[in-house]
Amino acid sequence: MVGVTSASWLLGVRAPDRGRAILVVTGDGELAVAVREVVPGGIAVIRDARSDDADEICAACLPWPWMVVGTVASLTPGLAVVLRNRPVLTYWLGDPPSGLPSHARWFERPAALLQAVRGACTADVGGMRLAPGNGVELDDGTLMRGATLESLVSAYPFGFALPARNFRAASDALSRHNPEWVAQRDGAARMTLVRADIEAQR
Amino acid sequence: MRANPEVLILEDDAETLDELQSHFTRKRFHPLGARSASRALSLLENNRYSSRPVLAIIDWDLGKAPDRNASSGDVLSRLAHELRECPVIVYSQNIDAFNVRSQIQRSHPRALLHDKRDGDASLLERIDRMLDRTVGDLRIHDGTVVVHLPTLDQHHHREAIRLVVHHPDIVTFHSDTATKAVRRFGEWLHTHNSAVRLVSHGNRKYRLSVTATEVAAPEREA
Repeated sequence: MVGVTSASWLLGVRAPDRGRAILVVTGDGELAVAVREVVPGGIAVIRDARSDDADEICAACLPWPWMVVGTVASLTPGLAVVLRNRPVLTYWLGDPPSGLPSHARWFERPAALLQAVRGACTADVGGMRLAPGNGVELDDGTLMRGATLESLVSAYPFGFALPARNFRAASDALSRHNPEWVAQRDGAARMTLVRADIEAQR
Repeated sequence: MRANPEVLILEDDAETLDELQSHFTRKRFHPLGARSASRALSLLENNRYSSRPVLAIIDWDLGKAPDRNASSGDVLSRLAHELRECPVIVYSQNIDAFNVRSQIQRSHPRALLHDKRDGDASLLERIDRMLDRTVGDLRIHDGTVVVHLPTLDQHHHREAIRLVVHHPDIVTFHSDTATKAVRRFGEWLHTHNSAVRLVSHGNRKYRLSVTATEVAAPEREA
C-alpha cells in the first residue's frame, strides 16, 4: 500500500488546530500545492479540502480559517455560514459562486491570486505584522492575540462587510497596544484599519 | 525518562533504514525504526505515554514493506492528530507530482517534503540542518543540549531542544512538567542575555523569537 490514507475521516487535515490556517477548496488539490509554495514558513498551515469534506475541515480551523481560497463552483453550507459571519480573507479563482460575501476578492489568473495570498501573509500595517502561528506582532516584539486583528492587518487596505460588533476585540487590543490605529468603516462601508489621526479628521 | 530524544523513522528498505538509524544513534538520538506503516503505528502507540518523538522521517513509497496493513498516510495522519508538534519530513520519488503532494498535505498539513531522487546523503544533510540548528545565539549540540554560543553554557532539556528545532513555529506542551521546563528555559535565556526570548501564546503554547537584528531567515521547506 502506498501513501494514501485508508480512512478519510482520519486524515490529518481534519485535526482541530488553533494555528493560522488557509483553507483551500478545490476539486483536485493542485491550487493548494501552489498556495503552499508562496506562503512563508511558519505563517500559516495550508488545509487542502475538497467539496465533500470542506465543512468538516473548516470546522477544524479554530476559531475559523484565516483565509479561504477556492475554485469550486458552489459553497458548502457550513463554509458559507463562516464566510458570511466571520472576517475571513476570501480569494476565489474564476467565477465566484453565489453566497460569497461582498468583501471576497476573485481573480482570473492563478498568478494574481497567489500574489495576493503572499501579500496578505507579509502585510505590514504601521509596524503590525502577522506573528508565526497566530497573533499580530509589533516592532517592539509585543504580541497581540486575536483572529480578527490578524484578518484586519492582512486584508489592509481592504476590509470586511461585517457588523462593527465583530471587531470589538480587535479595537480593544489596538487601544491598549497600538492606539495609532483603529478599526473603522471605510468609504465602501467595510470594516478596515484606519490611522487614528485620519479618523479624527473625518 | 530516557535522556536522548526519540526520532521515528519509517523506511521500507532495510539497508536505508539501518543507515538512518546509525546516523541518529551517532548523533545520540534514540531511533524508533520501522519497515512498515503498521509497525510505525505500533511504535507510536507503545511510546504514547513515555515519549514524544522530536522528529519523524517518513518514506511515502512503501513498496518493499513486509506488511501492507497500513499506509504511510495513516502514520502521517496519526502524527497530525496526536503529535502535531513533531516535525515530519516525508520523502518520495514522486514528490514533484501535485497529486502526491496533495495526498501528503491532506494526511499531514505541516509535513515537510523531500525529493528521494536527491539521494540519502541529501536527506541526512537536511536532517542535520534541522537538528543541529542555530537560532540566534543558540545552537543544538549532539541532539541533546542547547548551547548559548557567547558563553558556551548548556541547557539540557528535551523541551528546550524541541523549541529550538521548531523555531519559528509554535509548540504546544502537554504537561505541567513540560511547561515548567519551558519556563525555566525562558528564564535561562533571560539570565544569559540571549538574543532569543520565549514567547507565550497561552494555553501551553510557546515559541522562540529572535531579536530583529539577529533574525535568521526561516528555512523555507520544499
